[in-house]
Amino acid sequence: MAGCDVPPLTSTKPSGQRDPMRQAQFIRSTTFHWALAVAGVLAVFIIVLFGFIYWKIDDYLTARSDRVITVELDSIAGLSPERRLEAIDEKLRQDPRRVQVVAIFAADGHRITGNLESLPPHLRIDAPAQGTDVIRTDRKGSELQTVRAIARRMRNGDVLVLGRNIDEAGEISHVVGQALALGLLPAFCLCLLAGAWLSMRAQKRVEEVNQRVQRIIAGNLRERLPHRNVDEPFSRLAAIVNGMLDEMETMIHALAGVGNDIAHDLRTPLTRARLALERGRTNATNLEQLQAVVDKAIAGIDQSLTIITALLRLAEIENSRRSAGFGSVHLHEMLREVCDIYEPIAENRNIDLRVHASEPLSVLGDRDLLFEAVANIVDNAIKFTPDGGKVRIELIRCDNETIVRVTDTGSGISEQEREVVLRRFYRSDKMRNTPGVGLGLNLVAAIVKLHGFRLAIHAGPGGRIDIICPDPQPSRVALAAKI
Amino acid sequence: MALVSGKRNIPGAAASSPANVFAAVGNRLMTKVLLIEDDSETAEEITAELADRGFEVEWSANGIEGLDKARSLKPDAMIVDRLLPGMDGLTVIEALRKEQVRTPVLVLSALGAVDDRVRGLRMGGDDYLTKPFALVELMARVEALLRRPAESRETTLRVGPLELDLIERTAKRGDRVIDLLPREFRLLEYMMQRSDQLLTRAMLLEEVWNYKFIPATNLVDVHMGRLRHKVDGPGEAPMIHNVRGSGFILRAGP
Repeated sequence: MAGCDVPPLTSTKPSGQRDPMRQAQFIRSTTFHWALAVAGVLAVFIIVLFGFIYWKIDDYLTARSDRVITVELDSIAGLSPERRLEAIDEKLRQDPRRVQVVAIFAADGHRITGNLESLPPHLRIDAPAQGTDVIRTDRKGSELQTVRAIARRMRNGDVLVLGRNIDEAGEISHVVGQALALGLLPAFCLCLLAGAWLSMRAQKRVEEVNQRVQRIIAGNLRERLPHRNVDEPFSRLAAIVNGMLDEMETMIHALAGVGNDIAHDLRTPLTRARLALERGRTNATNLEQLQAVVDKAIAGIDQSLTIITALLRLAEIENSRRSAGFGSVHLHEMLREVCDIYEPIAENRNIDLRVHASEPLSVLGDRDLLFEAVANIVDNAIKFTPDGGKVRIELIRCDNETIVRVTDTGSGISEQEREVVLRRFYRSDKMRNTPGVGLGLNLVAAIVKLHGFRLAIHAGPGGRIDIICPDPQPSRVALAAKI
Repeated sequence: MALVSGKRNIPGAAASSPANVFAAVGNRLMTKVLLIEDDSETAEEITAELADRGFEVEWSANGIEGLDKARSLKPDAMIVDRLLPGMDGLTVIEALRKEQVRTPVLVLSALGAVDDRVRGLRMGGDDYLTKPFALVELMARVEALLRRPAESRETTLRVGPLELDLIERTAKRGDRVIDLLPREFRLLEYMMQRSDQLLTRAMLLEEVWNYKFIPATNLVDVHMGRLRHKVDGPGEAPMIHNVRGSGFILRAGP
């Protein structure tokens, strides 16, 4: 019966929660169906168990009866004919429960003595004990009884029949049946009740969650799911969802911030364009002046478009699942190439740009994107290094990881700025007057994340940014296995 | 862009006679360009600009009609928008390529995704331009498509006094030997193959440096400045010209 204490605590159907007929719903819930199934299986199991007990007891009683009547028959048969009659009379007298059947018939079939009217027709003589129906007759009248009986022919030709009523077995089955009813019905009901209770409890929880979720949908982002401090599936689930909601709330706020930033960054060049056009329309007196004005306006619009393009590209990288197109990227060659492209720019500003990548190392990735990431970092490094400074691109091999490191002698990124620098559109105050959209490091971060690499920005003095490329997992496992 | 197919790409007759396109105009055999673009205002601007430059322009606003015109008019070049009513731009190109029509095609698209570009080119487009674009950029690319350097076995490029030996990897201007770094050599080679053509910064970035993105710093100008410094020596007539706000041209004469 242990089964009914723990009906499965599995899910309830969350469908149709807004249905006002909630009371009837628990019957449709999965929990209740499970409880019903468990109760059914339990009932079948108990019935089979009791059936088996009954069958065993019945078997045992019959075997015992058979043994008793065989022994008695043997003892009576061993007596002389006169003594036999006495023994039979004696036996019938000592049978207040009227379970004994004994009679002796002459060879021609008529009864000599005993409580049987006639020799039972189906009773085989000189056979082992067998079940048969007999008509028992005594002073209180005659009745049909089912007995286990044995018949044997005596040496003088008489037939001795000895039997024992097995209605006892019926009584036992009655008792067993009663026990079954007493045990089974409450167990079954308990199961159903437990199922219904759990189901209703779950429904209530779901309804509670539903109401909170409705509030969240309506815009109340602070709302959280009810959560009790117990280790129970529903609470754990609520805790998980709450964690997700926390994250989403932060993200939504961040997004709103980004929206403002975008609006601001787009508005600035568009305002310039608008003002130029407006002033040009009234003030330009010749074609050249008008062209100058239009050039200014086009520059403003181009800057807005650059911002939009950069944003779209960022979104594209962040959303892409391009790992399918990954190949082996030879970092040492790639870094040389980046250096080669930026060398003239560094030279113009008297910056010493060098690459240290002696070891041929490669990683799995998208070459174009990784090139873009490194180029962006180098671009930034040159931009923020004062004339005459140094920028180094290094390729370093550590345990289980390859590091691309770009260091410069610029002002570096301060402790406080490190987190925010990766935010979209963030430009530190000193950057405000440098050209650029302020999405460079964002893009680097997105590319690095897409590859499963890490970006580490070190505190000054001097700037230092690492792209840490851990070795692919399988080789690490293989290495561990070797050790 | 499928312009450069190897180191031995040498300008053929088309490129070496500078005003080929315009010469054709003179011969009353105008270069025909088919524009398939559904936005009428954009189409109008493009058509007007092309006409100003002496092209004969046909315009279709949808894919099916565009395909018909491409078959009947046999244009010299096509500008095809990616998203079109009736039939997708790439489908039009694919259909034409199946019919062995080799007309150079410039694909226009508002979709800038890198994968999208690749798809556009694989379908048979020869170049790809993302909206919004500058008209100058579009014109430069159309002319580049029309004057694509033909396959050649020549190993020396010549533009005016400038000579580039592709085997020895040496450059000379007249008798003066120009000492070039590999990256400068690559840039000059590309420019000499397309002399007298406007080469925009984006074209140079894509083709010479294989950049798939626009860097924050104006890389092209810095590299071009260095190359110009070497090519146009003191007292020599400048060959590399900066077209303000658009790009660069390598010219034999002044």
